[in-house]
Amino acid sequence: MEIGLTHYLIISAILFSLGMFGIVARKHAIMVLMGLELVLNAANINFIAFARFGGMNIEGHVAAIFVIILAAAEAAVALAIVLNIYQNFRHVNVDEVDQMRD
Amino acid sequence: MVTEFGIILLYFILGFLFVGIALVMAALIRPSHPNPIKNSTYECGEIPIGEPWIRFNVRFYVIALVFLLFDVEVVFLLPWAIVFKQLGWFAFIEMIIFVVILLVGLAYVWGKGDLDWEKPKPYIAKLEDLVLGKKKQ
Amino acid sequence: MMDLNYITEDLIKSVGQFLPETALIITFLVAMMADILFKRSKHLTGYIAMAGLVIAGFLLYHQTGVNFKGFANMLVIDAFGQFMKYIVLLSSLIIIIFSFYSDELHAAHSRLGEYYTLIIGMTFGMMLLVGSSNLIMIYLAIETMSISSYILAGYTKEVKRASEASLKYVIFGAVSSGIMVYGISIMFGLTGSLNLFDINQYLASHQVDHLPLLISGLLIVAGFGYKISAVPFHFWTPDVYEGAPITITAYLSVASKAAGFAVMLRFFKTTFFGADQLLDGTWHLLGSINWHYVVAALAILTMTLGNLVALWQSNMKRMLAYSSIAHAGYLLMAVSVMNDGGVSAVLIYFFFYMLMNLGAFFVVQLVSNKLHTEDIEAYSGLGYRSPLIGVALTIFLISLTGLPPTAGFIGKLYVFTSVIDAGYYWLAVVGVLNSVVSLYYYVKVIRNMYLRDIESKEDKLVFSPSAIVIVFVLAVPTLIFGMYFTPIVEWANFSMNIFIGN
Repeated sequence: MEIGLTHYLIISAILFSLGMFGIVARKHAIMVLMGLELVLNAANINFIAFARFGGMNIEGHVAAIFVIILAAAEAAVALAIVLNIYQNFRHVNVDEVDQMRD
Repeated sequence: MVTEFGIILLYFILGFLFVGIALVMAALIRPSHPNPIKNSTYECGEIPIGEPWIRFNVRFYVIALVFLLFDVEVVFLLPWAIVFKQLGWFAFIEMIIFVVILLVGLAYVWGKGDLDWEKPKPYIAKLEDLVLGKKKQ
Repeated sequence: MMDLNYITEDLIKSVGQFLPETALIITFLVAMMADILFKRSKHLTGYIAMAGLVIAGFLLYHQTGVNFKGFANMLVIDAFGQFMKYIVLLSSLIIIIFSFYSDELHAAHSRLGEYYTLIIGMTFGMMLLVGSSNLIMIYLAIETMSISSYILAGYTKEVKRASEASLKYVIFGAVSSGIMVYGISIMFGLTGSLNLFDINQYLASHQVDHLPLLISGLLIVAGFGYKISAVPFHFWTPDVYEGAPITITAYLSVASKAAGFAVMLRFFKTTFFGADQLLDGTWHLLGSINWHYVVAALAILTMTLGNLVALWQSNMKRMLAYSSIAHAGYLLMAVSVMNDGGVSAVLIYFFFYMLMNLGAFFVVQLVSNKLHTEDIEAYSGLGYRSPLIGVALTIFLISLTGLPPTAGFIGKLYVFTSVIDAGYYWLAVVGVLNSVVSLYYYVKVIRNMYLRDIESKEDKLVFSPSAIVIVFVLAVPTLIFGMYFTPIVEWANFSMNIFIGN
């Protein structure tokens, strides 16, 4: 059996679902951010797989580079914010950070 | 003919075999004379203090993040380097602008004191400074 | 490699058209350097930022009438983008002026330089977003503005509410942009390109599977929906609006929404509609997915939920947050008709929305400076305690409700007209019913200000004259445009053409 586009797309769909599960089910802020990285990497796999198998141009590779860099920038800011949450609340459980309620 | 999945399977088998054979061989060859000193964490004589699962100083995090950001930005140099010869001066100037923007960011981190291991303490004005109108730094 | 010379020429030509954004980048760098070199001066970076915004506005003015695609078709300059960029620049300028009056920001004044620098960074991101015509460019621009706004939302980091706001903002924001980038990757696979113009051509000439196209389109719209706080993606809005500093709340509710709507309109128009522009302003849809109904459903959900939940709110900022969700719903209504009339209605509405919403938030900020609370109860008797501010807030709230003779009425009139012209009577009916509901919670505040008997009536609140002048600089146009609105309408009609040419 030839490893083709479909396999990569399935892998990326699985990664995406795992990432979304992590985001929804985990309480710890760091775990949520890890789930987010999975989602972004799922998109990266898609980009590269389409660029490789679709006979497409360099656009897919460039897109992946941009996604990696933006993910790093976003993670940096998100971690700083989580750190600040720790200083204010002494924990980083997302669902216990609820000063404001309807 | 092996399919592509077959190749992956072969990789797996080879990987496991390699590790397994190395471990088994080592266990057969090495002499075994355990004693308390030999079984300690650092055989060189360093005595371990406390648990390894301690909270790290938050300064590691700041330095690591600053490193990470600049490290990742360098990825952009790679595609640039490939086409540099064909594009010539134009690409050079473009990249200089990019690097200058990064340098301003570095200068900002530096100026804010985030690169210092010991953050400079803010200078608190004393009464005598205000009275005499001079400021010591 | 013969393409390379062409690419270089294209880049050099594009840089020449990229002046307003370049001015903002330079302002950003200068403000950063000024922040570390002159630590003592409190507002220096603020003045630098204002100067940069004015220069960018001036350069933007020189782009009038230009239709240009640059940077390998990544960025577009057109009249539509110009209008939205004016709104972004103007609201950034107004927010910086508001910040000079904010007490809560000045409690953290040692970091105030960062604050103004980040506002410039966010403005830059929004300017890019308004003009971007490439999916990766859209993602990049959304991230540029989001990352700045995450920090700004938690700028007063010692305050628990603010740090919670920024945590919620960053998590929801990062997730929705992650979902969007996954949608982008599917769209890339389906059509073989990231460029909206190329995707459009591909859709015009090929048959594409419906389901993947619908899913990828919806995933991308999730990213925009988050920025404009449309309903299934609105969860962050009330908490972030309540927790963030008031200036930033006002900024998020106007500027980032403007950029979100601009990119949403451009995305739909450029991607899913035929490039052959018809003279009567209708667009013709490519493929069989009816995006009108998708957006109309979002609009109904958004305004209904926004208005209904706003009824129970007791905190002014939170109430205005739900009200801004409701307004996003009205605007989505105009987006859903997807023709030139709809675009023009969005532009008109946005200009007026900027005036009235920023004004309302500025009054909330002034009152909270004095009374240290945002509770609606605290507004009892405000009409007597400070007559001028009371009158101004009344004007803003009536305008937000959409009653004549204020600008909000004209905005709503054009939105409903565009919806009815397109034949969506049911949508217009839902919109009108929603406006009636919204009357209740806006009038509740006005009633609190004038019709409540309380003992503190005599306890006058004194605001600085310059603050009152700023309030009226926003309030008077809100009234005047309610009666004399022709220039804005003409300007919007001039700007409604989204660039599609090749």
